[in-house]
Amino acid sequence: MATQIVMDRNGDTRHNFDVTDAKAMLKAERRFKALTGAGFTAATRTAGEEPVVTRTFDPTAEETLFFPRLVGG
Amino acid sequence: MFVTLLHVADDQLRRLLAACSRWARAFRDWYQRPSTVEFRGRKLLREWLSAEQLAQYDAHDYFEVTGCHTGKRYRISHAGGANVYELDDAGRPHAGWCFVPNDHLVAGDVMLAQKIALETDERSALAVANNFMPR
Repeated sequence: MATQIVMDRNGDTRHNFDVTDAKAMLKAERRFKALTGAGFTAATRTAGEEPVVTRTFDPTAEETLFFPRLVGG
Repeated sequence: MFVTLLHVADDQLRRLLAACSRWARAFRDWYQRPSTVEFRGRKLLREWLSAEQLAQYDAHDYFEVTGCHTGKRYRISHAGGANVYELDDAGRPHAGWCFVPNDHLVAGDVMLAQKIALETDERSALAVANNFMPR
């Protein structure tokens, strides 16, 4: 099971999907493209727990975090 | 007779005040409770912090990160904005940087986005940031 976590004003929304389910993986990839296309940054973590920004859908990532575009405050 | 009535009224007034005081305390506790959204934001942040950062956050309500391009140290304080401080060699804040996600997010989510940005794409984060003098 993998998870896509999308930060939003409700805290975050989690989308869990089965990595062995081709249909679920396709949906997850589409969600990835839609979010990054809308300006979200996608990040995963390495085995050493370091965050890594990813620009393409990684089907092996257990957890992908999306946060909105950063702007000057 | 009049004195008895006064005693009864006094007793009832005291009970009413005590009840009001209890209601006021209950309302204050309800109003000041951490919201579910804030709780989830903190939980997510804690999951993504390194062990060292988590210990620092628990102790001080801030944690430090290293910029991936310059190697500079930054302190991210618990807040939803104007909360990133560049540290000098002595570990003192000498410049403030303000950059936030362009949606209304709780502090934990803002801090996590700032951490990831500085650790993975420091220059882009600072390019959009406004700077300020730390107090």
